[in-house]
Amino acid sequence: MSTRKTIRLTVNGKPYEREVEARLTLADFIRHELHLGGTHVGCEHGICGACTILIDGSSARACLTLAVQADGASITTIEGLRNRETGQLHPIQQAFVDAHGLQCGFCTPGFIMTTLELLGENPDPTDEEIKEALGGNLCRCTGYQSILDSVRLAASRINTATAA
Amino acid sequence: MAIDIPTRTDQLPTSATRFIGKAVNRIEDPALVSGTVEFIDNLSLPGMLHCAILRSPHPHARITAIDASAALELPGVEAVLTGEDVERWCDPCFTAPEGWGNYCLAVGKVRFVGEPVVAVAASSRYIAEDALELIQVEYEVLDPVANPDEAMASGAPLVFENRGTNVIQSRTYTWGEVDRVFAEADRVVSRQFRWNRVGANPTETFGCICQWDLADNSLTCRGAYQTPRFMAIGRAASLRLPANKVKIISHAQGGGFGGKGGPRGTDIAALLSRKCDGRPVKYIEDRMEYLLAGGGQSWDRYYDAAIALKADGTVTGFKVRLVDDQGAGAEGYGTISAAKPLAAFTGNYRIEAAFYDLTLVATNRAPTYPYRGYGPPPHNLVLESLMDVAARELALDPAELRRRNYIGPEQFPYTVPSGNEYDSGNYAAVLDRVLELSDYKALRESQAKARAEGRLVGIAVVSTVEPGVFDWNAYATVGVPGVGVPEGVKVAVDVFGNITVAIGFNLQGQGQFTVAAQVVADYLGVEMNAVKVTTASTDVALPHFGQGGSRLGVAVTGAILGACDKLRQTFCRVVAHVMQTEPDQVELMNGRLQLKAAPAHGMTIAEVAGLMLSRSDLLPPGVEPCPEATFVWVSPNRNLPDDQGRCRSYLTAAAATHVVQVEIDRDTGQVKILGYYIVDDCGTRLNPANVEGQLQGGVAQGVGAALYEEYVYDPQCQPLVSTFVDYLMPTIHEVPMTVKDHIVTPSPIAPLGAKGCGEGAIHTTPAALLCAINDALAPLGLECRETPASPRRLWNLLHGQHGH
Amino acid sequence: MKPAPFEYHAPTSLADAVTLLARLENEGCDAKILAGGQSLMPMLAMRVARPDALVDLRQVPGLDHIRLQDGRIAIGAMASKRAAELSELVRERQPLFHAATRLVGHQQIRNRGSVGGSFAHADPASEYPAVALVLDMEMVATGPDGERVIPAAEFFVTYMTTALEPGEVLTEVRMPVLPPGTGWAIREITRRSGDLALAGVALTLRLKAGRCADARIAAFGIDATAVRLSEAEDALRGAVPTTESFARAGAVAAASLADPMSCIHASAEYRRHLVGTLLERALADAAARAH
Repeated sequence: MSTRKTIRLTVNGKPYEREVEARLTLADFIRHELHLGGTHVGCEHGICGACTILIDGSSARACLTLAVQADGASITTIEGLRNRETGQLHPIQQAFVDAHGLQCGFCTPGFIMTTLELLGENPDPTDEEIKEALGGNLCRCTGYQSILDSVRLAASRINTATAA
Repeated sequence: MAIDIPTRTDQLPTSATRFIGKAVNRIEDPALVSGTVEFIDNLSLPGMLHCAILRSPHPHARITAIDASAALELPGVEAVLTGEDVERWCDPCFTAPEGWGNYCLAVGKVRFVGEPVVAVAASSRYIAEDALELIQVEYEVLDPVANPDEAMASGAPLVFENRGTNVIQSRTYTWGEVDRVFAEADRVVSRQFRWNRVGANPTETFGCICQWDLADNSLTCRGAYQTPRFMAIGRAASLRLPANKVKIISHAQGGGFGGKGGPRGTDIAALLSRKCDGRPVKYIEDRMEYLLAGGGQSWDRYYDAAIALKADGTVTGFKVRLVDDQGAGAEGYGTISAAKPLAAFTGNYRIEAAFYDLTLVATNRAPTYPYRGYGPPPHNLVLESLMDVAARELALDPAELRRRNYIGPEQFPYTVPSGNEYDSGNYAAVLDRVLELSDYKALRESQAKARAEGRLVGIAVVSTVEPGVFDWNAYATVGVPGVGVPEGVKVAVDVFGNITVAIGFNLQGQGQFTVAAQVVADYLGVEMNAVKVTTASTDVALPHFGQGGSRLGVAVTGAILGACDKLRQTFCRVVAHVMQTEPDQVELMNGRLQLKAAPAHGMTIAEVAGLMLSRSDLLPPGVEPCPEATFVWVSPNRNLPDDQGRCRSYLTAAAATHVVQVEIDRDTGQVKILGYYIVDDCGTRLNPANVEGQLQGGVAQGVGAALYEEYVYDPQCQPLVSTFVDYLMPTIHEVPMTVKDHIVTPSPIAPLGAKGCGEGAIHTTPAALLCAINDALAPLGLECRETPASPRRLWNLLHGQHGH
Repeated sequence: MKPAPFEYHAPTSLADAVTLLARLENEGCDAKILAGGQSLMPMLAMRVARPDALVDLRQVPGLDHIRLQDGRIAIGAMASKRAAELSELVRERQPLFHAATRLVGHQQIRNRGSVGGSFAHADPASEYPAVALVLDMEMVATGPDGERVIPAAEFFVTYMTTALEPGEVLTEVRMPVLPPGTGWAIREITRRSGDLALAGVALTLRLKAGRCADARIAAFGIDATAVRLSEAEDALRGAVPTTESFARAGAVAAASLADPMSCIHASAEYRRHLVGTLLERALADAAARAH
């Protein structure tokens, strides 16, 4: 029956093989089949950005992707950022904490994943470039100012660490 | 024992506060940035089923037949719930005023598009949605009531037939000699305003998992619950259960802002569980459900208002007539939000008389729910817009007109005509600082230059008061009984000196867990990481309310201070007994119980707790081996209102003035915010970063309400906004990065001098933006008096002017 | 908001895809092609689109190129918009297409969304169809009868409808490189940054001896398809590129629109006015780039 399909993919470095319904969204697959609940779902129609993950290193909305489309892909979710051994936060996560870049925290994994892509491509972005990158993520709590601060802080810390 | 709640930080038992007043990192955040917080949709229970809801496509129709047989045959479907079940097992939700509530599923007829009609429980949400497509519902379409004019017309169709009218409530309040001040006025400025529906839209929609215990006939609901205890009582009433048989477990919430209507979804999931032999049923509202009818619609208002002035600009009177389209009933307490302005009806000003005429009307739009601020955002927009019109007519600078009318710093406590007492403030100081911060003179010069070039640049200086720390008494005249909203905590010290704070609410974003930890750590002299804050379910929690009414930061601070003071007194007794002295010879200071006369002699908190838990032989008579204390805080000195609603309601009065400069593109109607400056005064800032976050977040929501967001209905009452493609919440591009400063006038009566600060910015920003837009339009003789001031609306205004 | 069930196919060659589509059609099966899915997925989630089968082109090789080919730029239908955005070839040789690409949604969308998908989806509010008209792009489709090339002017039929036959796969879009010295511009009005346009214009402008020699202009967001603004093009021919002549062209364009769309965000009259304003401003942008 072709309404189901077996997929193989890597999530946060760990390989998985699962049979899924073709209609299952990647967001639901990650959340409810793999039990990685940090990828949040806010609208299911591709506007809010809460479900942003990286697919093969590029940001994507998990709600606008079918699980079957991720067959063979390497996926990074918010759970993949923290150091597994030490529990230490990724510098972007730490910057969001330090700059109070979140309130309810529901949109935050999406912002952090988008920032991860941004700083990978552009380690020293201008404010305009940060806004351009984050324009597809909605936050209803913070008014974005502290998020902008968080990204700036993360960039400067990562750059300082790289220089050292 | 007498409990002492400090109103100043220097009254705390510490030589210097280490956490309070500092922008310490939030204890909430490491888990939130890691994605490991258990929002409700992250939880699965064994045997859990998933609910999907079939909703009405009609604004008003009689249900003549429902056939769900095909749905029941679909593999994976366990149960179908209809109005028939609901009528048998349920009552309509209670409302204020009473008798304007709907059942959780439509019984007999539907009253708005999106009203739940049939619900399905199935093995997955996907299958549950498949099942909805197999359900046949026959409707006899009725004429809808699309707006208040239609609703109040004679012979109008009735939304609730048994009421005999569509008017939910109509009443007036008269405060002072209104007729006289208007008769004696040198100038009366009056205008009409239309505030279109907007709403909360937290990033997480509502969700719950409900489980009916058939043996015990009790119900457990886990979910994204704001105000859990209130929810438990409401569910008990609608589901006909004793209140002690409903247990609410509140999970972290992805935002709230008031509009996270949980009652319907909870009742539906609970009844499905009952129908499925007690299997847990999860309901996760999706965004389209939320936007259609999920509790995110608020403030659908028509205003006709006037102020009376003396020639010198002294404002003497303020009259407001409000017709408020409540939508289909009063289930969401939209009614009482119309009464909230009583707490600060006349804003920052010494206005001697005021009048409020409220008409709350039922229509076939979706029911309205609370939204952050709960009423004052539109009210302040009306008052501040009138102030600006008056300033223009009097050729006075709007800042100057406001300054002339401010309540003076020496006049506090100040009782406003509508009855509330403002605790403290210094409005002129706030104004001075924001004019300096914004370089107001330079802004006006740049405006003059822009105007000379034909550009439409406008500036606003808008002041508001934020009533903080709500109390029931503010709403007594619209049907809410009582005085004193409780917030209870338990503070427990373990044998190692770690501290657990048990509260009745869960995370929602405002940072109250952190505030709680800051206060406990400074009071008991421990590190913040020694404090664990945990949420008690409603069956064991102390009386509490949770988030709401710009209150919780202050309330939880008060509750913790009360519990800590009880602990301190107990510890003093224990230590006095051990050291063979009197309790009043012992003091708590920097985490040690020490002899006042010889501070080197004493015990740490951990030592005292350890002793209490392990050496009952050393305890004084009457002291239990329990280093724990509970305290339920209520606002001090509240009272019942008189027949005009006058009482001491909200405890604190924070204040702010925003200065904003905007430019309107003549040809597109688009508004660009050129600069945004805020100075506020919310007394002691317990965590300045939290306060700034509340301010900036309120600005963003204010920008949304003023410029972008709107629930649009067509003339047949069909909603035209059901996705985020059309409900336009501002992104990072639309929200200005504001320049902020503050002054501090501590509250003399609130815990640690802190004032409620969660709503001030949304109280102010819409008014500021509309006033700035109208300042920009002033040279053309145009005014925009409707929100949102969308490009289409502004272009229409400009288009009329230019006769395109 | 969960999609209804569908069959899923992921053919591994273009020939297989075409054969499969033909078979599904014969079986009376409503099949839809899945490219990046950025427009299709919300429609599936809302059950507005309810195909019986999805044919995913993800594993079909040879559809993601971006290259110079016979003097024209050829972009494989499955190339992502992000790839087009990052392509030096596109940025330097076809800046109008590049600028249009950057206006599509947000980066998360451009990462996944295919270039071809936007042409096949044919949303009248999207940028690509208008750019296709301006640039006289060609769409290459492969069906049971082989490959055919469809000029842009014939490709967009009406609202979300193209000249593609049910069994055809859009494989490539082709566009000329922008001749040196040609001015270009794209402007749009959106409610929020990144939203679909309420109205927009895209154009190229050639100047010769201080006059407008040739303008090609299309508007989007105003009708069931993107539309060429030929009356405005005519009005510009031979005109001196001044603020006045651009304003005149804008007015001509606005007046030439038959019956602009209306929605909750923009009335027909407002859209009409926007087209005039946008054209006036875009012409100034283009003139500044032309030499």
